[in-house]
Amino acid sequence: MRPALIVIALIVAAALLGPLALHWRYDVIDWDAVRAAPFTGNHLMGTDSVGRDLLARTLVGTRVTLGVAFAAALVSLVVGVAWGAVAGWRGGRVDEAMMRVVDALYALPFMFVVILLMVVFGRSILLVFLGIGAVEWLTMARVVRGQMIALRERPFITAAEAAGTPPAAVVVRHMLPNIAGVAIAYLLLTIPQVVMIESFLSFLGLGVQEPMTSLGILLKDGADDMDVAPHALLLPAAVLVTLLLCLTRAGERLRDRFAQ
Amino acid sequence: MTLLVVENLAISIGGRRIVEDVGFTIAAGRSLALVGASGSGKSQTCLAPFGLSPATVAGSFRLDGTELVGVDEQRLRRVRGRDVGFVFQQPLTALTPHLTIGAQLREAWTQAGASRPSRAAMAAALERVGLDRATERLDQYPHRLSGGQRQRALIAMAIAHRPKLLVADEPTTALDAMLRAEIMTLLGRLCTEEGMALLLVSHDLAAVADHVDAVAVMHAGQVVETGPTRAVLGNPRSDYARALIAASPRLDGSPPALGPIGAPLVEARRVSVSFARPGWRRGRLRAVDGVDIDVAEGEAVAIVGGSGSGKSTVARAIARLGPIDAGTVLWQGAPLPERRAMRPRDRAGLQPVFQDPVASLDPLWKVRDIVAEPLHRLRADLGRTAIAARVEAVLAEVGLDPSLADRRPGALSGGQAQRVAIARALGPDPAMLLLDEATSALDVLVAGTILDLLAELQRRRGLAILMITHDLAVARRLCHRIVVMDAGRVVEQGPTDRLIAAPAHAVTQRLVAASR
Repeated sequence: MRPALIVIALIVAAALLGPLALHWRYDVIDWDAVRAAPFTGNHLMGTDSVGRDLLARTLVGTRVTLGVAFAAALVSLVVGVAWGAVAGWRGGRVDEAMMRVVDALYALPFMFVVILLMVVFGRSILLVFLGIGAVEWLTMARVVRGQMIALRERPFITAAEAAGTPPAAVVVRHMLPNIAGVAIAYLLLTIPQVVMIESFLSFLGLGVQEPMTSLGILLKDGADDMDVAPHALLLPAAVLVTLLLCLTRAGERLRDRFAQ
Repeated sequence: MTLLVVENLAISIGGRRIVEDVGFTIAAGRSLALVGASGSGKSQTCLAPFGLSPATVAGSFRLDGTELVGVDEQRLRRVRGRDVGFVFQQPLTALTPHLTIGAQLREAWTQAGASRPSRAAMAAALERVGLDRATERLDQYPHRLSGGQRQRALIAMAIAHRPKLLVADEPTTALDAMLRAEIMTLLGRLCTEEGMALLLVSHDLAAVADHVDAVAVMHAGQVVETGPTRAVLGNPRSDYARALIAASPRLDGSPPALGPIGAPLVEARRVSVSFARPGWRRGRLRAVDGVDIDVAEGEAVAIVGGSGSGKSTVARAIARLGPIDAGTVLWQGAPLPERRAMRPRDRAGLQPVFQDPVASLDPLWKVRDIVAEPLHRLRADLGRTAIAARVEAVLAEVGLDPSLADRRPGALSGGQAQRVAIARALGPDPAMLLLDEATSALDVLVAGTILDLLAELQRRRGLAILMITHDLAVARRLCHRIVVMDAGRVVEQGPTDRLIAAPAHAVTQRLVAASR
């Protein structure tokens, strides 16, 4: 787990602090260097098709992508786990009602919901966070519910009841820790998914707006230009691939440790 | 005529030698049981030579003159298909759920090269293994059959192509005591009738004793003793075989000394439990129907019955650990509150121990915290240091090394885990233990030591015990009184000796016969 975690920490730190140390801001155009190759002037990684510093844009884009992913993961964790845990633990009518709510939300076309939100509340990066979060917790709720139902029948849960542990404490101290492994593994799987959704929304013009950027937008722009300025595709792609690999690796190791 | 000759057999998995220098022979129409604890290599001995495990095999394993060691997979497959039949431990999962019994039986027939059997032939095959209404069964799906019936169907499939050798790996371990005896009798009979050799694997020497001609006792990958069953049982030469024989509880021999009995502790009256029927059909399934059970202080009572008799359900209802529809439970003369209204002091008096020791401990908790949990909740009078001292004390009382206190359940053996579960139950100083098949998932030797421990605790602490078991011999080891249940009702109860000596009800008679 260690090396993967270190790389993730480095990427996060660079995304948060890196832009402060750079000469160029992500939205400033250098008219003397359009589509410049790496190491042109003081553009370490060159510039994009309109002459903005690519390293600065990649760092800021990583920050936005991580922000969206983190927000969606947080919603998925808090709402999804709580919802699924209550449904799976109480069972019966409560379970039925709660899972029908999940089914109803599943049935709503996700894009339609986001567009509706944009129309009603205006464009805002916060709405992207909210929109993705509102969808991502549904699957988590189902996963957690299934785990809780399987766990409820295990003898050590009955033993905890016999030990006088109150129901809420049984859930918090015995059941949730035992599903943490599955929940975390699933959580780390949702992050790449969220990155994709975010870049798709941005591509449609519903997500992050210029001059603000994200890894998804950078990849799209870079792909448009890849025959003349391949570095504009390679840099954000390298960051994304490294990030996803390390997240998956960290997730797997974490899951294995919980499984022991 | 000697059919199977095994000499100098050695098996290793991943470079580790797990079976060494094993040898035995079986003649056609005769049977031999490999007996030993889990991990003794007995299953590998009968699976690896047929290529059914990833192990490497050396030595000699000759079936009807054909050497199987060092033979390529294709030849092995032909031997498996033509000359050998296999029966495994889990009858509930060994059948394909979406195919009828008839379809699976036909497949067993034709895969060995025989022509398509007629329905009459298949029905006859099912009748031969003692399955009733055989023609009807051909069109049924596996879920309609009980565990014992499925095992019979599987045996029918294993012998459909008339193999020379039948290999049965713990065929009765997942079944209750009554079915165990019936299936063993069936295997013994088939072996004689068909002139087939039987290689049986079991951890329970007593259970196979009456049904096989010879035994080979295995310990740590080696055969420590082999010979005719009667000789080994009557006059064991090795210490290990002696220990195995002594460990398995029997109905004969001198009755154990039990402690004195005091005032009534539990009086359960007209307890009924029902479950909602699965699926779309409305209605409820009666699992327990108006059962009365009494336990006095210091008294050990066993509820005995086959699978599905409702014995476990009624015990959980009384202990307020499961649902209950109707009925009252008095605890020391006062009504016990409903499940959700149980106060800590109500719970402290009655602590459970379950069947699967590893599953009854939270896999993420350390042994120390597992044992301390009921103390924190049920004994508000104890402080932190008092609880820690008490944890040490009960761990010592159940014979666990203090160094195990920092381990997690995954790092414990089955016997150790069950001792932890017993220590947890003893912590709050209960007046009564609920033992739900507490020894049936353990090896005979380990189960024996756990039963000894329970008997000692019962004497020393004057514990009342409510024990659920399918095995009369286990009940006899510990209990003053036995309650026999069948189909949700009590069919007979009485003092242990009387009940075993003169069983009145048909179910009790079957149980007694199964444990002889």
